[in-house]
Amino acid sequence: MISLSAYLILSAIVFGLGLAGIVINRKNVIILLMCVELLLLAVNTNFVAFSHYFHDIAGQVFVFFILTVAAAEAAIGLAILIVLFRGRKTIDVDKLNTLKG
Amino acid sequence: MLFETILTYPATPEIFLLGMTCIVLLADLFIKQQEKKITYWLSQFALVGTAVLVLLLYNVPSTLLFNGSFIWDKTAALMQFAIVAINFFILIYAREYIRERKIPQGEYYLLSLFSVLGMLVLVSAYSLLTLYLGLELLSLPLYAMVALQRDSTECAEAAMKYFVTGALASGMLLYGLSMFYGATQSLNITEIAQVTSNLSSGQELMLIFGLVFIIAGVVFKLGAAPFHMWVPDVYQGAPTSVTLFVGTAPKIAALAMVVRLLIEGTPALVHQWQEVLILIAVLSIALGNVVAIVQSNLKRMLSYSAIAHVGYMSLGLLAATPDGYASALFYMLAYALMSLGAFGMLVLLSKSGAEVDKIGDLRGLNTRNPWLAFMLLLVMFSMAGIPPMVGFFAKLGVLEALIGAHMVWLATFALVFAIIGAYYYLNVVKVMYFEEPEIQYPIVNRPIINVAISVNCLMVLWLGMFPSGLIDLCRAAFAM
Amino acid sequence: MNLAQIFTDLVFFSFAAILVGSALMTIISRNPVRSALFLVLAFFAATGLWILLEVEFLGLILILVYVGAVMTLFLFVVMTLNIDVEEQRSSFVRYLPFAIVIVAMLVILMVYVISPGHLNPSELTTTGGQPVNYSNTTELGMVLYTDYAYPFELAGILLLVAIIAAISLTFHGKGNNKTQNPDQQILIRREDRIRMVKMQGDKK
Repeated sequence: MISLSAYLILSAIVFGLGLAGIVINRKNVIILLMCVELLLLAVNTNFVAFSHYFHDIAGQVFVFFILTVAAAEAAIGLAILIVLFRGRKTIDVDKLNTLKG
Repeated sequence: MLFETILTYPATPEIFLLGMTCIVLLADLFIKQQEKKITYWLSQFALVGTAVLVLLLYNVPSTLLFNGSFIWDKTAALMQFAIVAINFFILIYAREYIRERKIPQGEYYLLSLFSVLGMLVLVSAYSLLTLYLGLELLSLPLYAMVALQRDSTECAEAAMKYFVTGALASGMLLYGLSMFYGATQSLNITEIAQVTSNLSSGQELMLIFGLVFIIAGVVFKLGAAPFHMWVPDVYQGAPTSVTLFVGTAPKIAALAMVVRLLIEGTPALVHQWQEVLILIAVLSIALGNVVAIVQSNLKRMLSYSAIAHVGYMSLGLLAATPDGYASALFYMLAYALMSLGAFGMLVLLSKSGAEVDKIGDLRGLNTRNPWLAFMLLLVMFSMAGIPPMVGFFAKLGVLEALIGAHMVWLATFALVFAIIGAYYYLNVVKVMYFEEPEIQYPIVNRPIINVAISVNCLMVLWLGMFPSGLIDLCRAAFAM
Repeated sequence: MNLAQIFTDLVFFSFAAILVGSALMTIISRNPVRSALFLVLAFFAATGLWILLEVEFLGLILILVYVGAVMTLFLFVVMTLNIDVEEQRSSFVRYLPFAIVIVAMLVILMVYVISPGHLNPSELTTTGGQPVNYSNTTELGMVLYTDYAYPFELAGILLLVAIIAAISLTFHGKGNNKTQNPDQQILIRREDRIRMVKMQGDKK
């Protein structure tokens, strides 16, 4: 059978890819938002795996709420993105530099 | 009978606030743009009612509700009262500002009420799940509020930066929480504390692994170094009325998160998180104070000062004694009060078309409005830690706690940087009193606003002269 | 090793490979539309893995809610904004070493943390499996509205906040559409619209 550690390592890889994506994607905010979704997917996989191996439903309940919150978060993030694009006509992170000290 | 139950039921403040917020939501739909003051008064009523309920419940003994995911204790009561009271002042200050800048008023009040609700939930959360939901309920309205001034691209940019860093922080925090769940098989802080007191080495390693991510997430939200990048940009880019909101009450709520997760959840790992907190405190204090000196934008300067203050606050936490925790709580409450005064003053001084956000804009404030200048002087002195202001006692408290925990070198370090930091606060005072104003006309505000800001700033002085009451309350919050 | 076990392994490793591969493509593809589609593929692969773990309800929710609503919203926004795909990626190479270091560090740490010496062996191998008539949905539903009623309410408030925030940010209001206002048209004066400019006449 597949062990718990296989799942944990898999989600660590996905989490790492999500973090890496946030670091390397400087051109496009929308891909940053997708990277955040990847982070949450990794976290959810962790919870699901733990929940299965512990025979404890609490982990699944947590995942249920993370999915809800992530949907709300994506809605607000995309709304901000639209406001930003209307004003600036760009979503390039490197060009977002009006605020500098 | 029913009334008695309500007055002893610890979740009443949250329920009342939620009910009132829904009423505001519905009322706002049917109110014409010219009569938005009804929304304002309803929102203020919601806050006052919540504060009264919190006060009535203060003496209710510690209770766990909702299957152990909600706690009512002295810490929660004190923090909730502070949060609601601060937001009462924020709405008074922000009212004129948002009206003049065409920021949608109804939405501003509503989102801020929802955010306050999130703070209350976070402060009394006692399971990883409610902690997370409270944090998100606090943050999501804030992201939107920063972008609420739709015609300003600066605001949208600040909001985007805030959102991305905030979402990243939630991701990190969640990853840590999943490791906590994996190591302890529970979401409940009571149970986590029980499990962690008696760990196998494998579980401990996993917990520490999770702890690193949790601390990273919390530090992001608190806005301390090394994850402070968003703080200056958001403070500067957001409309001042929103900066006022972001820079005060959420910090108290974030402290609550630290208290629940580290102090109450994993007391067994105190040595591990203590070391991380030392690093964070040292970095924040040094970076905040040094970089603030070279800022010419007042909001940006105050944001670096916020980073430094969070560093000082965490000094109290890492002393890891009940006195230390109490001093950290005292520091946070004092800082929230000072920050409320400072940003509130910026909001009041900014008239439509003439935004006050550079230090130079304060030139000769003394000749334009001596009383407001004096009030700002009190706040600046307090932030610099000059007696007899509350900021002095806050700093004294954390330094005492540090010395009590035999960390004299850290206390010395903090003291040296406090003296360096005093420079830029005093520079503001110098600009206000000894430089000639560019604009001569006096500043006139509505009397109620003047009263509010005076009460706010005189509190800074009064709590500095008679700090013992608040100190006792903070001690009671952490009485073991 | 019996056949069922080999089959499970095969399913796990193929879905895991798809998940990692599509996650990688999400972060490195240049076109946001492609990124979004690869993310959808990643969600499908994750669903496969979750169902392998007997977490059917959440697996289906991931497809219905996530792929069906959230990712559609993403694609919708990408299409509406009509972002021109920038081809040059100077920053990409600059940050790539960082990225590799992050992934490598996390995985090594994780492997260290859960190496069999550290984790309780009983936790590693409990597979058990649920009885045939087990319903994941029922079990989740039983606790969701009882033990977790308070978080459930909070989640409801969060969704309400998302609605309010998204609408207040993107809705421009009645005043912003392009209908003409007759009052203002009548009130227009000649001086507001016409400016006399003295031109230098031709010299010739």
